[in-house]
Amino acid sequence: MLSLMPERTSADLDLLFGALADATRRSIVERLAEGEATVTELAAPFSISLPAISRHLKVLEHASLITRSQEGRWRHARLSPTSLGSAAAWLARYERLWTESFDRLDDHLARLTSEQPQPRPKADSQDQARER
Amino acid sequence: MTTKTTPQLALTRIFDAPRTLVYRAFTEPDHLAAWWGPIGNSLPRDEMDLDVRPGGHMRWTELFAADPRVRVHIRIDLTEVVDGELLDGVMHVSGQLPEGLEPFETRVRIEFGDEADGRTRLEVRQWLADHLAPSSEAGWLEAFSKLDGALATFTGVLR
Repeated sequence: MLSLMPERTSADLDLLFGALADATRRSIVERLAEGEATVTELAAPFSISLPAISRHLKVLEHASLITRSQEGRWRHARLSPTSLGSAAAWLARYERLWTESFDRLDDHLARLTSEQPQPRPKADSQDQARER
Repeated sequence: MTTKTTPQLALTRIFDAPRTLVYRAFTEPDHLAAWWGPIGNSLPRDEMDLDVRPGGHMRWTELFAADPRVRVHIRIDLTEVVDGELLDGVMHVSGQLPEGLEPFETRVRIEFGDEADGRTRLEVRQWLADHLAPSSEAGWLEAFSKLDGALATFTGVLR
């Protein structure tokens, strides 16, 4: 379970989550999920300046969330899916840690409650059979 | 510690057992060792040290069946404890970690609530370090669920 994302260090993840901890940058990432775009196109939905958008793009680029390429006069930004996958994997890893543990806890609690003197009509005989 | 920031992870689960028992399953060594982690992992009893109170701690080592070199040290420094109801603190993960993983810390909050018919509602929330999730920012999980479709497409492309 802890063996997911071998390619990412926690410093990388700090950068990644830091970059995503901003509503404007998350919007940019969502826009880029639809396809690559220029700075001007990315700035269109926002009431902030082009230089401000450029600064956001630098943060995203530094976190390896996007890559940028020069084509003639235009710089295109596109989403780098592996980094976003790492952030999602971090969350998925913990979700799985908890849910797998919860499944075991379920069984453990069932054993404990079946050991108590109160009669529990359902599934007791099965639980005891599995236990011994 | 503030609880206003949005956790990056929030899970709820209903257990068919009384609240006091579920709480004990988290806070007593023999119980915790019986269920923590995926099947195959084990928690050596002599490396468990649970001092459950505000300012106390919970420490244990996790061994991996899949890789005998791995020894994960978990330490939760407890900031808030309400007997039978709440555990809140910072979890530190260190030790001989699986390859490629570095030590890190994360805040966890575990709440135990009563449900109908003697069942228990467990709520687990997990945060990255505070400086990574400023309180003014919300919508983590929303953002990720929005991106799910895009991620599915991209992982498809990568394979």
